[in-house]
Amino acid sequence: MQESGQGAALQDLDLRQAAIDSCFVELDEEYDILLREVCIRAAKSRISSNDTDDRRIIQAVQALDDIDRNSNELSERLLEWYGAYFPELELTGEPLARFVSTFGSRANVPESHPIFVKASMSMGSELSFADEELLRTFALNLCSLYDTRRHIESYIVKAMGSLAPNLSDIAGALLGARLISMAGSLQKLASFPSSTVQVIGAHRALFKHLRGNTPPPKHGIIFNNVVIKNAPWWQRGKLARSFASKISLAARTDFYTGKRDPSIRENMDKKLNAIRTANPSPPKRESKPTGKPGSRGKSRNKKGGRR
Amino acid sequence: MPVEELSDGIFRINVDDREMLATKNLMSGISVYGERLIVEEDVEYRQWDPNRSKLGAMVLKNFEIPLHYDSAVLYLGAASGTTVSHVSDILRDGLVYAVEFSPRTMRDLLQLCDQRPNIIPILADANKPQSYAHIVEKVDVIFQDVAQPNQAEIAAINSKYFLEQHGHLMLSIKSRSIDTVASPKRIFKEEVQKLETGFDVEFEVLQRKELDPFHEDHLGLVARMFVDDEE
Ligand SMILES: C[S@@+](CC[C@H](N)C(=O)[O-])C[C@H]1O[C@@H](n2cnc3c(N)ncnc32)[C@H](O)[C@@H]1O
Repeated sequence: MQESGQGAALQDLDLRQAAIDSCFVELDEEYDILLREVCIRAAKSRISSNDTDDRRIIQAVQALDDIDRNSNELSERLLEWYGAYFPELELTGEPLARFVSTFGSRANVPESHPIFVKASMSMGSELSFADEELLRTFALNLCSLYDTRRHIESYIVKAMGSLAPNLSDIAGALLGARLISMAGSLQKLASFPSSTVQVIGAHRALFKHLRGNTPPPKHGIIFNNVVIKNAPWWQRGKLARSFASKISLAARTDFYTGKRDPSIRENMDKKLNAIRTANPSPPKRESKPTGKPGSRGKSRNKKGGRR
Repeated sequence: MPVEELSDGIFRINVDDREMLATKNLMSGISVYGERLIVEEDVEYRQWDPNRSKLGAMVLKNFEIPLHYDSAVLYLGAASGTTVSHVSDILRDGLVYAVEFSPRTMRDLLQLCDQRPNIIPILADANKPQSYAHIVEKVDVIFQDVAQPNQAEIAAINSKYFLEQHGHLMLSIKSRSIDTVASPKRIFKEEVQKLETGFDVEFEVLQRKELDPFHEDHLGLVARMFVDDEE
């Protein structure tokens, strides 16, 4: 090993020689020990810098999905279980969990509570003490899942504010985080053409289209944004295209400059309003696609016939 | 004889009438990946599972292993260090530079490095030897197990940078990472040819054997770098 130290380093810099010449270390052995420590530290710090903000956000987005899956399942169970004791209670989801964890048996609902009459007239069976305890704990756990969910959401909003302020501005922090999660990283999202951004999350519709039997999907998860969801159907495609291109721009700005640029939002609002005013009512002829003599309608018909 | 040294630092032990491969544990009492620890005549050994290690399989396939107590080794594709830990046992007076490019895997490897003073971890891509040329000095052996389509090329450039004049290259070639459908035999032949003549460093292949039944569709190979004496 000593010998190996004397071999000429191929890089311009012979670190071992330099360290010894400058009296930074005295012995070859010291250099070896130092080198190992430095390498371990360098690898560690590169690994922790690999645990980047977007990774943390992606974990959080996936945790939200896990919680949703679990809380849906648990709340269905609670509904069925508690339904035997108080079938008239018309609550589901979080309100149900809160109710059960607060009162347990319907006998505990105070007179002042709006549900009191229903509770005292219920045809449900009586809750034994043991069952009540169990149901309460179960409901309480479900409540804490709902609390955690809110906690994670606010974490995402905060983290997105510093990682991707423009994307948060344009798409909203939660949708933005979901886009990053589906793309794999902010860098990847920034590298996608906006036509891809538009259909992220629409895998099924996209594959169907590629197999040739449907029109291309107009929107993937960006459909979840109110801009598109609440728009009349004939505007959605145009809005989605424009929305996607602004999301792309925002993601690129976030990735490359990291600075917030309010003009992206302003331009988007202008653009979206222009689309809305230019398309105030449903296009009349296109409302019956099969009757339309356009080539697209025809070829689609043909394909449909062949299958 | 219950313990036989097959090659420097590599042992065959007979335990309960079963033969097993092992190395002398450099860090006594510590099992790295759940392998069995065996004490024989006051010496602690770690069982070495050839099914989990290409190098281990090469030993059992009767390769002449060019590793010695004081060798310097460049290990490309260290993964979480299963095999590196045994190399570290063998090189009790030497050292091993362990190159791995997946950060997730490096995390496990670092735990091993924390315990063992003769492993130097390098988080880098073996395609880019210049990125660690300031760290790695000349080595006696390059061991490579990267499972990449261009593995012959990776071996050649690293040898050019780091291998001592008559140093050895040990290579595990996985046919399926080169071509998933072609016949492994043909791929192996082509890879060997590439090593012999395809690059500006040339190798003399000393030994080559498939690593079955321990690893299917893998070729093990030991070669020595040719050096032009005129230079
Ligand atoms: C088959 S595993 C090695 C197993 C290891 N030799 C053992 O026996 O414990 C291949 C490893 O090589 C790594 N690898 C692949 N390409 C690489 C490259 N270009 N540079 C560095 N490491 C690489 C992979 O991340 C993987 O961990």
